[in-house]
Amino acid sequence: MVAFRNNDASGRTSGLLLRCVLYSLLALGLIIFDKRYDQLGHLRRFLSVAAYPVQVAVASPFEGWDWFRESITTRESLRADKAKLEAQLRLANFRLQRYEALEAESQRLRALRDNTAGVAERFVIGNIMDLDLDAFRERVLVDKGANDGIYVGQAVLDSGGVFGQVARVGQLTSEVILLSDASHAIPVQINRNGLRTIAVGTGDMAHLKLPYLSTSADVVAGDLLVTSGLGGGFPAGYPVGTVAEVKRDPAQSLAEVDVRPAAALDRSRELMFVWLKPNNPVANATVAAAPALAPGVKPPANPATKTAANPGGKAPAAAGAKAPAAPPPHPGATPP
Amino acid sequence: MMRDETTRLGPMALSALVALALAVIPLPAVIDAFRPDFLVLVVFYWSIESPRTGGLGLAFVAGLALDVVHGVVLGQHALALTLTAAWATHLRLRLRVFSLLSQSLTIFALLTAYQFVLFWIDGATGNPVTTFSRWLAPVIGALLWPLLAGLLSRSHER
Repeated sequence: MVAFRNNDASGRTSGLLLRCVLYSLLALGLIIFDKRYDQLGHLRRFLSVAAYPVQVAVASPFEGWDWFRESITTRESLRADKAKLEAQLRLANFRLQRYEALEAESQRLRALRDNTAGVAERFVIGNIMDLDLDAFRERVLVDKGANDGIYVGQAVLDSGGVFGQVARVGQLTSEVILLSDASHAIPVQINRNGLRTIAVGTGDMAHLKLPYLSTSADVVAGDLLVTSGLGGGFPAGYPVGTVAEVKRDPAQSLAEVDVRPAAALDRSRELMFVWLKPNNPVANATVAAAPALAPGVKPPANPATKTAANPGGKAPAAAGAKAPAAPPPHPGATPP
Repeated sequence: MMRDETTRLGPMALSALVALALAVIPLPAVIDAFRPDFLVLVVFYWSIESPRTGGLGLAFVAGLALDVVHGVVLGQHALALTLTAAWATHLRLRLRVFSLLSQSLTIFALLTAYQFVLFWIDGATGNPVTTFSRWLAPVIGALLWPLLAGLLSRSHER
């Protein structure tokens, strides 16, 4: 059945070793330059454009099927959907009534306390492309890239809450690392009492954990976690998850806290990319700390400045995928 | 002879593209970990069947394509695939006279070596993936080999 032809059995593959060594050195060079010096952004962008047709070709049949299913839904189900959405809208409007006033009040209070929380200003919606990137890492590919001003470290939300952040930007696409990725961490705050800590991914889309809370920390099941805005990458006050279970082992100094993410990490199709407000206190604080870096001066090699949404420039780029956990973890940190 | 070499370029490019598409096609999360490395198997086939047309150049380019679509450090799959494809080319004369079972076992060894290089670079670049399930892909790949090799040999033999 599987008969290889022997017609080039005599064919020389002379220099196999030499070519193997050459290609391997080339690959090793790529690895080192990409990892250590971060110098291959342009090459990667170019290659990602080359890969785009394959990705679209693979994703489009699935999207087409979704479209087809949507277009043959019955009148009844559409009516039911409409009724449900109207009810949701009523509820949302009801909640929004006091939002403006509350936001203004919160801004005033923050200004009084000189709080350093980022505020979301502008949103762009992106669609998740139906592709599996890597079975062992929690990432998705989204159809917005450098052409739309997306930058590395940008916060990404879905309708439920914080979804993740941008890990890599191509020309037409970008990769978003999910909250639940084992290498992702996000600064959070317990909404009830303001206790600050860091939520870390577990590699499982249904769970996050809070590894830096002591057994005596005031946290109970049902607590809502929101972004604290510290570290500058994420806007403050967006829901991250709810505490599902707290295990306190007297023999351990740290509690085991299990968190359910608020965003539908495994079901969302549409994501929102967030730009922080240009004159947000984080940027101002950065500028104040480094007077040489005037707001008009562009720091070199900072992708965030291209968006012009962030003249201070430092904040989102500093909180890249590698180091999202900017504030040092204080076990059992006291609320302010 | 020359005609033979060039007539294989078509099937080679086509099979590599299809395998690349299969590498990113969405699967339910339950079976995602069992996804065999289709493109690696295809590269092995051409390294054994026609090392002068395919061979290490194909292996390097295919590896780079995998790096880009998987979004990992550039050169990772390229290095792993280059090394193992060179090994496959080295073994090709023996592989051709092996029985199907021995072929599959050899492919299993090659796939495991490939996975090991990936594992090693993952660790060296600071994103270790230590789940056991990553070692399942070589098993599935080896089981798939007879089918794939039969299919590919149909593609260019009359």
